[in-house]
Amino acid sequence: MTAVASTTGTADNTSPDSPTVADPVAGTTTNLATDNSATDNSATGPNSAQPNSASPNNAQPSATERSRQPRLTSLQVFSAVLIAALLFQRPLAQALDGSTVRIAATVFVAVCVQALPFLVIGVVLSGLIAAFVSPAALGRLLPRRPALAVPVAGLAGAVLPGCECASVPVARRLIGQGLPDSAALAFLLAAPAINPVVLVATAVAFPGEPGMVVARFTGSLATAVVMGWLWARFGRPEWIAERVRRRAHPGSGGARWWVFLETARHDLVAAGGFLVLGGLTSAVLNVAVPASWVEGLAGHLVLGIVVMALLAVLLALCSEADAFVAASLGSLPLLPRLVFLVVGPAVDVKLFALQSGTFGRGFAVRFAPTTLVVAMVCGTVAGLLALGGAR
Amino acid sequence: MRRDTQNVLLVLLGGALIKISATELYLRYVKPANKWYLLSAGVVILALAAISLLRDAWLSRGGRPAPGHHGHDHEPHSPWLLLLPVLAIFLVAPPALGADSVQRAAAGNSVTAAAGPSSGEFAPLPAGAAPELRLSDFVARAVWDRAGSLAGRDVTLTGFVVHRGGSAELARLVITCCAADARPMVVRLTGFTDAPDLPSGSWLRLRARLLPGSATVADGYTPSVQVLDAEPIPEPVEAYEY
Repeated sequence: MTAVASTTGTADNTSPDSPTVADPVAGTTTNLATDNSATDNSATGPNSAQPNSASPNNAQPSATERSRQPRLTSLQVFSAVLIAALLFQRPLAQALDGSTVRIAATVFVAVCVQALPFLVIGVVLSGLIAAFVSPAALGRLLPRRPALAVPVAGLAGAVLPGCECASVPVARRLIGQGLPDSAALAFLLAAPAINPVVLVATAVAFPGEPGMVVARFTGSLATAVVMGWLWARFGRPEWIAERVRRRAHPGSGGARWWVFLETARHDLVAAGGFLVLGGLTSAVLNVAVPASWVEGLAGHLVLGIVVMALLAVLLALCSEADAFVAASLGSLPLLPRLVFLVVGPAVDVKLFALQSGTFGRGFAVRFAPTTLVVAMVCGTVAGLLALGGAR
Repeated sequence: MRRDTQNVLLVLLGGALIKISATELYLRYVKPANKWYLLSAGVVILALAAISLLRDAWLSRGGRPAPGHHGHDHEPHSPWLLLLPVLAIFLVAPPALGADSVQRAAAGNSVTAAAGPSSGEFAPLPAGAAPELRLSDFVARAVWDRAGSLAGRDVTLTGFVVHRGGSAELARLVITCCAADARPMVVRLTGFTDAPDLPSGSWLRLRARLLPGSATVADGYTPSVQVLDAEPIPEPVEAYEY
């Protein structure tokens, strides 16, 4: 949310964005502060009193108080953490000696290192959209009627070859620039699942089973479209954090590049922390989920579907790699493994963390569980049709 | 977290990505093809942060407030988490996955038809007395090859020792994207008297021959090999197969 003020500041230099503004503009400052407290907890309305929210009455005193008292800044805390970590490097490394902890540490770094380049692609695209794509131009891309716009946006996901991490900042920016929520969410769900890279990986992992590719494509696209339609019918705009909708005002010429820079930088900082949280969760679960979960599911189709869907959520594999993991679980029928492939790119712990950081917790707790159910149903139906029964 | 702290953190994060991709460290976590993604991502992150730092400094020198300082108490705390991978990379650099991961996995090979051509026909083995084969290739041929290209041939395999269930195995981890999706490939070692003295995880390059009749459903598609000759080696830079 830091960027919002700054982007408007860049575009319109007369707008106040300093904390120490005098009376004439104090209203603007406090408005900003209450806006921000509302977006931090999107479930509560902007007027609900929170104990530590900057209400109009105490915003001014606290600001002056802060300037008087020497306060620990985050840069000082940051330096202290760094120095402590350097001093205790040896004990830290020794603490990682247990085999389980060591595996989790490697998996954690691997997930972060694997996903960060895709997040960077996503935030760069997001910055370009904010700075150079006008809402009017976006509006012309899609059919007017939401019922049609949703499937078109879902299919458009095929052109963004990348992991889940790239599509979250892009979908956020599309909403910010005025694309209907339902269409942007369909794009969010479709992009990581139906792009050519993922489909080719699936074909390579399941040679002699072209039905898997067809079923994965239709199951994932159906999930995205159904979720888009559900959102258009039942979704409420206020479930998405208000900050997402603040439009960047790019101005013209050189100012556009500053908007690009600030948007990309801000999105990277905002989403990066949640990506790390997702990576941490996935690393812990990677060592905590025993291999025996999958063994012994061979004869239980329904149980297999449920367990594989849960595994997809918990392991949070990259959508380009999950087909190979699914292919290696040879003891299971194809149908549960297909559900694993349809659920994984749509909802997992890493995505949940990213979504709640980007769109707000109120959004994520409603959207993710619904997506899980829809993806399980769509995956199962697509599998039954394309694979010719429960195989 | 304050804006200047965020930028310093991004400089470190970009630096960490550049560091592991410029050295061979990144091979512990991702496949070789990711090198250029990583390097570019590191450079972009570093550039975003550096330009932002310079611009803020320039603006504040001119007496204008840096963007984003609008004095409320709700700066997000989540960016602090970015410190974790930075510290993990610079201070610890966790090792590549190895014997511990194999032992945690289910026994046997999770072979798929994907490992070989769907026709079950493989190209002939390379010429030479004991051609070098990737462990995953060896397992695929042992399980799927109808023409029996391994029959009666010596091959050279590289992997690490894993002791499990009273027998010694040579193992390798195969990754597709990153270490999170690692899958083990194993062969069982027979006729190898030094095996009990080698701790799990020690790397070997060995000349071996497939025992006919192994690598079936009954033994979890684990080929057994007769070890003819074994040479301890240091852990290779590319610890995984791809």
